[in-house]
Amino acid sequence: MTAELPAPVAKPRFESGFLTPYAFITPALLVMLGGLLYPVIMAFYLSFYDWEIGRDLEDAPFVGMTNFARMMTDPQVWEVLWVTIRFGFWTITIEMTLGVALALLLEKPIRGASVFRTIFILPLMVSPVVVGLIWRYLFDARIGWINYYLGAWFGIEPQVWLGDAQLAFFAIVFTDIWQWTPFIFIIVIAGLQALPSEVVEASTIDGANWYQQIFLVKLPMIKSILVIALLMRLIDVFRGMEVMLIMTGGGPGRSTELLSLHIYNRAFETQQLGYASAISVLLIAIVFGISTLILTMANPMKSRADV
Amino acid sequence: MNSIFKAGTVAIGALLLSTGAAFANPYEKYEGTTIVVSWPALSHFNKAEELIEEFTEETGIEVEVDALQYLKLRDRQLLEMSKDEGEYDIVSWVVMWKGEYVSKGLLTPLSQFYTMGSLVDPSYDINDIADGYLQNGGIVGGHKGYMPGKSGAMYGVPFGAETSILAYRKDIFEEQGIDVPATYDELRAAMAKLGEAGIPAMTSRGKTGHQVTAGWLLHLAPLGGKIFDDEWNPVINSPEAVEAAQVMREIAQTGPKGIPTFGFGEASAAFLQGDAAMYLDTLKIAAMSRDPKLSKVDGKVGFALHPVGSRCGSETGGFAMGIPANSQNKEAAFLFIQYMTSKKGDQRMVELGGDPIRISTLQNNADKFPDYSVVAEQLPCADPDWRPLIPEWNELNIDVLGQALTEVITTDKPIQPIMDAANEKARAIMEREGYYLWQ
Repeated sequence: MTAELPAPVAKPRFESGFLTPYAFITPALLVMLGGLLYPVIMAFYLSFYDWEIGRDLEDAPFVGMTNFARMMTDPQVWEVLWVTIRFGFWTITIEMTLGVALALLLEKPIRGASVFRTIFILPLMVSPVVVGLIWRYLFDARIGWINYYLGAWFGIEPQVWLGDAQLAFFAIVFTDIWQWTPFIFIIVIAGLQALPSEVVEASTIDGANWYQQIFLVKLPMIKSILVIALLMRLIDVFRGMEVMLIMTGGGPGRSTELLSLHIYNRAFETQQLGYASAISVLLIAIVFGISTLILTMANPMKSRADV
Repeated sequence: MNSIFKAGTVAIGALLLSTGAAFANPYEKYEGTTIVVSWPALSHFNKAEELIEEFTEETGIEVEVDALQYLKLRDRQLLEMSKDEGEYDIVSWVVMWKGEYVSKGLLTPLSQFYTMGSLVDPSYDINDIADGYLQNGGIVGGHKGYMPGKSGAMYGVPFGAETSILAYRKDIFEEQGIDVPATYDELRAAMAKLGEAGIPAMTSRGKTGHQVTAGWLLHLAPLGGKIFDDEWNPVINSPEAVEAAQVMREIAQTGPKGIPTFGFGEASAAFLQGDAAMYLDTLKIAAMSRDPKLSKVDGKVGFALHPVGSRCGSETGGFAMGIPANSQNKEAAFLFIQYMTSKKGDQRMVELGGDPIRISTLQNNADKFPDYSVVAEQLPCADPDWRPLIPEWNELNIDVLGQALTEVITTDKPIQPIMDAANEKARAIMEREGYYLWQ
């Protein structure tokens, strides 16, 4: 069979323009390698050494897997991992619910919707450091507004919000919801507005009531957007540290110390850079695992027909 | 050819001039040099900026100040000092970092400059600087590596150094009929009485990490406790250490709201804004209480010695200034340190609202400031072994004690088991760092 086919025309090995696409992607590739991969590789490399700032990296003793072995048996690492998971669960659940609800409410062209939309996304525009400072002073036990108004309006005794393990955890969850609900809101409302109106109309004609419309028509149609929002928030939870660093520094105890803040404290407060790098590798592995899992469950790139 | 010849004569001429001319003053050689100082954004140092202006006017040496929150200094300084050529010509360290800086070879021994006659002011009188301050902040390598001893060498001069005294509200004490506590028993009784009257008794640092440990250390020494015995065995679960933790718990219970969140700034603010009747920490509170920008209690504050438990033992802490090994302007930096800590500089610091380091300055101004005579009396009690200034201290301070003591002041759990667990962790760290190899 194949013999009957005309012999393929021998192509020159290097056609003119063969290298052109590579030339075009080279800059991006270099940026990727230099900016993204190099630090990750260095973190991995550093995790095999016992290094402190102020000494030469070349002189740092090689310790093999010691840092990883120590990490696996270190109760503090598991403690902060548990804090991070609890933090992620509460913030993401509430943010997703609130964000989607708000988006559905403000989707219709009601009077003043644009004003509300602007107000709702204000927290997103504030830098995390400023967010931390604002809420640290609002929650302050001695001079904070929250204690003042709770006392003045409801007669509630002043609470040490940031100095009690449970209350401090509540405070950082609350702050995170305040800052990041708008993010879900803005993404979801963009998705809702891009929905083809025919489908919604058709469902109305078919007699779908409001909750059927939301749960059977609208939300399934923006599923891929919800997955992306969820994924970004999940990664943020594992990366986030600025707000907690400023509000509580991880305290009291380790009750608000998220994994990345723990890495920061290990690396810079107690100068165990090798050990901190080993925990960073764990962090990368966790985030990579979660992302892969979510993307295999619902890959928004796989079919673009549902947008 | 002609131009080369010309350039040559100019160069030779310049050389002749520079070697031949005697300088009019010790600073002239460094005129126009710019030195960079890294120090904390604390009241004493903010006041010192005016003295820096006077220094520049007098010497022609320009000074740039990089002021940071004090616990952030170490990161920044370590980073700068580990470069080949650092930005900083002077670094001001919290005394607990001196061991780490020197063991990493990051500082210049000051003997290099004291052997240069042209740099040393003969009227400087180093013996006039309070010995406790000098030993604690500036001398490294003595007994146990951080205490006074023959093997020590001088790396820094104290500036913004401190010990602890008791500050109290005279008006509240009078109103409640409380005598100024001289012992820990009296102190605890006073706290209980104020607590019952609904008046926040004593403010304290209490934030997780360095701050809560600093609060506890203030009571450890006078109650007779220590961090290590002479063989580097941790003894933070001793009865004395547990009692100090108990005192911390009582302070958190009877003091102003929020002690578990207080850093140095918050703890001081609580006293200065009238939300606490007592302050037992650095002497810096005295100058701060006189500053109308910081204080609402000026004129109502009395000062007394740090109460005594089984012995007298007050804090040794604060800051010292030294010169990084990678500084490019070491001699000008030395002149700056010498100027700021000279008799004249010390007196100017007092006038500007800072804290003196010299005995003569304390004596000369004792009439003006009631705390100075208290400080002069307190200084002999300042404990050079108040905390171990070893490189491992940071991890013990933040990771071990900082966590355990948070548990002490935020829960009602029995204290002994908490401190037992902390002691085990401390031992493991010392073991890891090879402290028991000689046993």
